[in-house]
Amino acid sequence: MKNITTLISIILVSFPTLVNSQSIVTTKHNLSVSGLGAIKATTENEICIFCHTPHNSTPKAPLWNRNVNGGTYTLYNSSTLNALPGQPDGSSILCLSCHDGTIALGDVVSRATPITMSSLKITGKSNLTTDLSNDHPISFAYNAALAASDGQLKTPPLSVVSLDKNSKMQCTSCHDPHKETNPKFLVASTQFSALCLQCHNKTYWGSSTHKTSTKTWNNAGTSPWAHVTAPYANVTQNACANCHDPHNANGKARLLKYLPEENNCLDCHNGNVATSTKNIQAQFAKTYKHNVAGYTGTHDPIEANAVTTKHVECADCHNPHASNATTAVAPFVNGTSIGVKGINQAGNAVAVATNAYEICYKCHAGNSWAPAPALPRQIVQNNVRLEFATTNPSYHPVVGARNDAEITPNLVSPNTASTIMYCTACHASNNSADPKGPHGSTNQYLLKLNYSTAYTGTTGITESATAYALCYSCHNRTNIIGGSNTFREHNKHIVGERAPCSICHDPHGVSSTQGSLSRNGRLINFRTDKVTPDSGGRLYWQDDGARRGRCYLTCHGKNHSPLTY
Amino acid sequence: MKTQKLITLIAVAFITVVSFGQTIVGSAHDFKAASWNASGEICKTCHTPHNAVTGISAPLWNHQVTTQTFTLYTTAVSPTFNGTTAQPDGSSKLCLSCHDGVTKVDNFNGVTTGTTSITGAANIGTDLSNDHPVSFLYDAALATADGGLFNPAVALSGKGSTITADLLLANKMQCSSCHDVHNGSGVNNLLVKTNAASALCLTCHNK
Repeated sequence: MKNITTLISIILVSFPTLVNSQSIVTTKHNLSVSGLGAIKATTENEICIFCHTPHNSTPKAPLWNRNVNGGTYTLYNSSTLNALPGQPDGSSILCLSCHDGTIALGDVVSRATPITMSSLKITGKSNLTTDLSNDHPISFAYNAALAASDGQLKTPPLSVVSLDKNSKMQCTSCHDPHKETNPKFLVASTQFSALCLQCHNKTYWGSSTHKTSTKTWNNAGTSPWAHVTAPYANVTQNACANCHDPHNANGKARLLKYLPEENNCLDCHNGNVATSTKNIQAQFAKTYKHNVAGYTGTHDPIEANAVTTKHVECADCHNPHASNATTAVAPFVNGTSIGVKGINQAGNAVAVATNAYEICYKCHAGNSWAPAPALPRQIVQNNVRLEFATTNPSYHPVVGARNDAEITPNLVSPNTASTIMYCTACHASNNSADPKGPHGSTNQYLLKLNYSTAYTGTTGITESATAYALCYSCHNRTNIIGGSNTFREHNKHIVGERAPCSICHDPHGVSSTQGSLSRNGRLINFRTDKVTPDSGGRLYWQDDGARRGRCYLTCHGKNHSPLTY
Repeated sequence: MKTQKLITLIAVAFITVVSFGQTIVGSAHDFKAASWNASGEICKTCHTPHNAVTGISAPLWNHQVTTQTFTLYTTAVSPTFNGTTAQPDGSSKLCLSCHDGVTKVDNFNGVTTGTTSITGAANIGTDLSNDHPVSFLYDAALATADGGLFNPAVALSGKGSTITADLLLANKMQCSSCHDVHNGSGVNNLLVKTNAASALCLTCHNK
């Protein structure tokens, strides 16, 4: 019995093509009647004939047996594409003689009558159509010059991925039509995007959470990998495919799987894959938000650092190839916004923001499209960058510490004179358990805590810990209301006259080009909807030092001309 | 007992393939009824028992030999072709003495004033750059260099022995590697073996 088994084994081994799993015979590219795919011939049993003929081939190499479309293909393009794809040539045009969906599969040159097939033409996602703008570019020269100009491509020679005789990337760079060692005839595995990384060398990727996370999908809603035929189980395995789709990508440019840009992020950051503290989608359901859903197709990775056309997308503040969980202290950028460009305090574009506020400055530093300041003030300044300059008479310590001994006794621990704060110390979600950052809030001005500014008629606002919770989170309410170590008339104004903090104080700061230390220290910049000139036509506060000063103005029906304290 | 039956079946299957007896008579190369073959002899269009064409290594050759210069299938045509082709030699040159479309099919048995040319798909022409390459050395080194070919010295041809022994001539691929001019296998297009399931292609091509 043993001998017979051996005999049969020898016979089988002598027919290697019939049992070799790497043979075309056992792939979908066997279009003959013996093929394994859904699309195949009804009776034709030859395999090679669908592409090759021994005589009268066209094109000559590789003994091709099919007509090509002859038409013009719509090519891939994107603002960040450095390669120069031409009309498909080389082996790619051969692949497209089936995969563009225009030519009958059985229409081979060597047969007078087309071979009868179960499906006339190619179907499904394998049909790339003649619109290649949503497919990975092909038929472009991939050389050292391209790698250098792109900056995020490996320099040829490459090992696994092959280029053609003209050093061009073609379909065959990624696909071996005769062997399906990996699914989809790929020449390398897609796990951990091993194939993509043969060429793509994305800056920061090695330390990105999007590369390393083992998070899985909880099976709720739409799978973030719905565009992948056989996705892996977790984020790190799917890697590039978490966001990108090499063929028929909905987003076209940059082969993103979705066109509304944020959808590429939010199908994981909706509680279904990323942890609840990274559920960003829930933030965008709030009234006040960076409304990423309000814009589509406006953001461009190569746009000027100082944004010229109003929009906001996730990628304006985050680099998805870079983001990770590393933490930093203000003012430095933390892991979630690593590798994002910005505008620095000097007003210059920086390729990579060092300080978190530099990212905010891309939009909030005097951009022409920016809305007017929320509250009318004596000194109007719509450029946040100028408001936070450390040379200003006063400013919240976003760019640098105040080191102001007068303020220090009123600060809530752990804040001190040397504290530096992020923009997100004030502008963030209303719930401390939510994701960090200014995604969305139920509070106006996208503030993390309540900050009442309404002062309609003569009603004012009833002072409470809640009314000015934002301010009181750092500035000691007891001291302020009690008048110790502070403007002694705070109680009279805030409690008695029911005036919100914003009547006298401009929270960001007052630019040194517009204000002076003696009149605009202490963030003094009066709201002109409530504060008007005194009987002498004067409207200012004067600092007399040591928490003393005088006011020239009219407010709450009272002429201060001046009133001194 | 069952096992014996199995072995018998396998053996019969082999014998059937190997000894598929057919002849040139009635095949595409049987020109006894051709208008340009007045004698009606079958072998005569190519062979003669006496006074055969000299200067060429051919079996009692009786047909004018092509003098054409052919355009070859080379690495310039296909960068992935690892073989080295030269002007057709060996038996391929004999085949092209009709199939080049230039040499008259009725220029045989000493006649040089024939007027009949081959037509249709059988007319290969003098441009061989759209035809499977012939007259190139196919050895283990080529198989290694190509990566998609079987080693001919080891791989079986399905005709009893190795590719080298059964299908190559002096280690060269020639027309006769795929075609049996005498129709020994009785397969369409005078193939040496059936190409059902592309079996002939896949004899050499390890795809």
